[in-house]
Amino acid sequence: MTAIKIDKLTKKYKDLTAVDSLSLEIVEGELFSLLGVNGAGKTTTIKMLSGLVIPSSGDAEILGHSILREPDKIKGLIDLSMQETAVARKLTVRENVRFYAALSGQSKEEIEKSERYVFDVFGLGEVSGKKASELSGGWQRKLSIALALITKPKILFLDEPTLGLDVLARRELWAAIKNLKGKMTIILTTHYMEEAEALSDRIGIMKSGKLVFTGTKEELFEASGEKSVEDAFVRLVTEGGYHA
Amino acid sequence: MRKSFSRIGTLTVRNIKEIARDPLSLIFIFAMPLAMQILFYFTFHKMTPQFEMKYLAPGIVLFSQAFLTLFMGLLIALDRTTSFLTRLYVSEAKAYEFILSYALSALPIVFIQSVLFFLVGGIIDPKIFGAGMLLALLLSLFTSLTFLGLGILFGCLCNEKSIGGVASIVIAGQSLLSGMWFPMEGIPKGVLTLMNVLPFRNATTLVQNALNGAPASFKAFGLPILVVAAYALGFLTLSIFVFRNKMKAK
Repeated sequence: MTAIKIDKLTKKYKDLTAVDSLSLEIVEGELFSLLGVNGAGKTTTIKMLSGLVIPSSGDAEILGHSILREPDKIKGLIDLSMQETAVARKLTVRENVRFYAALSGQSKEEIEKSERYVFDVFGLGEVSGKKASELSGGWQRKLSIALALITKPKILFLDEPTLGLDVLARRELWAAIKNLKGKMTIILTTHYMEEAEALSDRIGIMKSGKLVFTGTKEELFEASGEKSVEDAFVRLVTEGGYHA
Repeated sequence: MRKSFSRIGTLTVRNIKEIARDPLSLIFIFAMPLAMQILFYFTFHKMTPQFEMKYLAPGIVLFSQAFLTLFMGLLIALDRTTSFLTRLYVSEAKAYEFILSYALSALPIVFIQSVLFFLVGGIIDPKIFGAGMLLALLLSLFTSLTFLGLGILFGCLCNEKSIGGVASIVIAGQSLLSGMWFPMEGIPKGVLTLMNVLPFRNATTLVQNALNGAPASFKAFGLPILVVAAYALGFLTLSIFVFRNKMKAK
């Protein structure tokens, strides 16, 4: 079943076209990675799909609900981890987890389960009593991402989730994301090619607001004649486009 | 509806913790007004009736509420600029739930402020103890809604850098236009009209009248209640409108 159906989605800011007539379908349970250089339109696309930015034209359906006509029905079905760290500063790690879990309507038992999940999977248990504002940037980032995972949305948007994380933390997050594969639809934007390679079912490459490639890793290699996602990406953004 | 109440409760508890864990806000909300109450009473109460405890204690209660405008505004402005709220916009929480939770989170602080300043006032001058104090306590919760409404509105409109300047206008307004620090005799008619139209004097008079057991009348209670209620309702409604607009995708 289709989770996200994007139809000619466009966002213009005065003379700049941030996203240019993007059309795409993502099926339920799929992990779709959106790649692109800075300013390619990845974040704007995610913000439009999550109802934070109104498209200039075009539309998209999230599990059958239009982002233009039924934005309220989409809330509760999705969650978003933004590029910026978004945590309650003066709450402890444990309180942040409990706060987000409770706000998403979880029962007491579910909240405790969420707490254990965050502590076990992300190792946040060792700083559970510390206020978020007292954590290092990396720990804050981990907490911010973990909070998006506990609400169990049907569709999860992860905008450059591993930005600013060290190698070990990045691998921890990869494992957590892999574990979620198939349980929810995940749309991930990233600058790290190996991340897209390790996690994605399909990859989309954006260039100057346009989607210049969609397909599997194998299709990307075939289309570009390269043998790594990074080389294929460089070739495609410096040359033409291809849709599998 | 049950989900809505639950979300309001969750947001309120979080906001209370954010305010209560800021040492600077605690100094301005409790310590500084308390020091002023004690200092002003012992320095001036024999010279100026304004500083007799029956007038000073309600004045300090209202003055400390004006500082809540600043801290409520700061909390919301910081929530907005740190992406915390942007993330919550994706949740099912509605604009009115956010605004109610911000307002409700300050009420326990207002209650503690009022109890503290009335109690200390009563220890210094036991004549102010009485049934009027309970009514004054209740009405001080009501008057705080004006200051909280303003703080929420400023927080929706300003960033954390400009909020200090904007909120200081309210603190100055409460100091200069409430009649709490100086006698009303000799004040020009135009200024007096302004004082009667704005909420500061009405809120102060209301709590003073309650504490001092003024006979129930429209002038003593009805009119100030109407003026303060109109401002509180206006500010809170406007806040919901502005907040909802900020939540909407651009």
